Amino acid sequence: MCYFYGMKIALAQIAPHLGNLEKNWDLHQEAAAKARQAQADLLVFPELSLTGYKLRDLVESVAQDPERSPRFRELMALSRDLALVVGFIEERGEEKGIFYNSAAFLAEGRIVHIHRKVFLPTFGMFEEARFWAPGNHFGTFRSPFGQAGMMICRDFLHLNAGYLLFAGGAEMMITISAAPGRGLSGEKGFGSSRMWELMGESLSFFTTSAQIYCNRAGIEDGMTFAGGSFVFSPKGALLAQAPYFEEALLFAELDPADVRKARQTWPWKRDDKPEVTLNSLQRILLRHDD
Amino acid sequence: MTINCPFAVRILTEFIRAELAKFGFQKGVLGLSGGLDSSVCAALAARALGPGNVLGLRLPYGKSFDADKDDAGIVADGLGIRTETIDIAPMVDAYFERRPTDSRVRRGNKMARERMSILYDYSASEHALILGTSNKTELLIGYGTIHGDMACAINPMGDLYKTQVRQLAAYLEVPERVRLKKPTAGLWDGQTDEDELGLSYAEIDEILFHLVDERENRGDLLARGLDAGKIDRVMALIRSSEFKRQLPPIAKLSVRTVGHDFLYPYDWNK
Repeated sequence: MCYFYGMKIALAQIAPHLGNLEKNWDLHQEAAAKARQAQADLLVFPELSLTGYKLRDLVESVAQDPERSPRFRELMALSRDLALVVGFIEERGEEKGIFYNSAAFLAEGRIVHIHRKVFLPTFGMFEEARFWAPGNHFGTFRSPFGQAGMMICRDFLHLNAGYLLFAGGAEMMITISAAPGRGLSGEKGFGSSRMWELMGESLSFFTTSAQIYCNRAGIEDGMTFAGGSFVFSPKGALLAQAPYFEEALLFAELDPADVRKARQTWPWKRDDKPEVTLNSLQRILLRHDD
Repeated sequence: MTINCPFAVRILTEFIRAELAKFGFQKGVLGLSGGLDSSVCAALAARALGPGNVLGLRLPYGKSFDADKDDAGIVADGLGIRTETIDIAPMVDAYFERRPTDSRVRRGNKMARERMSILYDYSASEHALILGTSNKTELLIGYGTIHGDMACAINPMGDLYKTQVRQLAAYLEVPERVRLKKPTAGLWDGQTDEDELGLSYAEIDEILFHLVDERENRGDLLARGLDAGKIDRVMALIRSSEFKRQLPPIAKLSVRTVGHDFLYPYDWNK
């Protein structure tokens, strides 16, 4: 178990430039400078922060192999004293022409973990599976701040994704997002923002883990990204939230020792029965009747 | 149907500013008729770009609609935006002298396209992008002239029903006389949208909102007590106007074709 106090998280609710790696790299460096100045320990960027979201056929021109790309060498250097989560299009040398919407966690000068988005929204205004391939795994990893897991945008809205990270021991879940605002009404902000907040609050409380959600701002092809990035504590308390729609750099102080306290109060983790989940899923998948 | 007006204005002003900036423009130009939609669009543009960067073109046909021309002037003065006036009668009349017609629709469409042609010329001469003023109601029922008043570089209001544009107009303090007068496409003297359509905007918007936003079907609308004839009329208008909402289909021959599988974002590298 890792003990550390007053961990400072920075969420860069930026508006990436569509298909422009150079301009986006500038945005990353600017945010990193500010985060470092504020003595942040972790800086999280939104989904596809290095490339912009609605890429369509631009995807091949912005794809990067994290093992070989010069940009990743620069990111690794940047992560020596500031842990980073960035969003990018992943294409490995050994898997040419196959593109993933990925999140990289970098710390202490190296790539610690890469998550490929599993659930690709392809309906209505979304066309992700048309242009990139799905990931197939939700895994946790040892971060400088304890056991962590990552999700990308739509992953977060699937209950099984959050559950798998919980079962894998995550004390902290980081979700990077490019969620557009949908549903203008008389209420404050977009109706769809509530959906993310509801899941953030629920997961934080029922998995007793910190929920770090970084959404983006800006407009692409008339699609307005809703912002509203947030951090919930492992006790289910909202620690900080960025404004809707606008660009912002949000800071939140998190005490990961809260995981221990929360899990003594609410022993969901201790009493979880992953073997029952596994057995039940096998029955469901094999269509066994009781 | 009620919208948070301050939030909508924040988004739409940022949309106008950001979309123009992406393409290297600071100025916007729009046709200013003295009606509700163009007045709201002008007010949004003035907030987004600064009044000095907005040009409202008044494009009357001869002496008709003089009252509307005055209203356009009142709106422009109130916002502090620049205006210019060009009478389109000489151009339109010259054409119909060669090809005479009694068809009000043909004459109306010609006027709408004459205005479009002038707006695009100003777009080039002023280095300004054209701000569209079509609302969601008009787009859905196809109540607009293709390549006429529907032509624009960006459309800030295309996801707002007429009823919602009215809410924004009040919030943006569009003059009351503009907000209270009967909507007209200005196709002929005395024409009003609601007479021509045979339905009020309130009726159309109620049907559209449930049909489109709430994904209800004809049966659901009937169960709400809405009139069958009016529902069918609106549904027929939607179906018959799809061509106005899309680029024309391209016959596919090659392995990679514009519109089919050559797919780039509008904001490509901006």
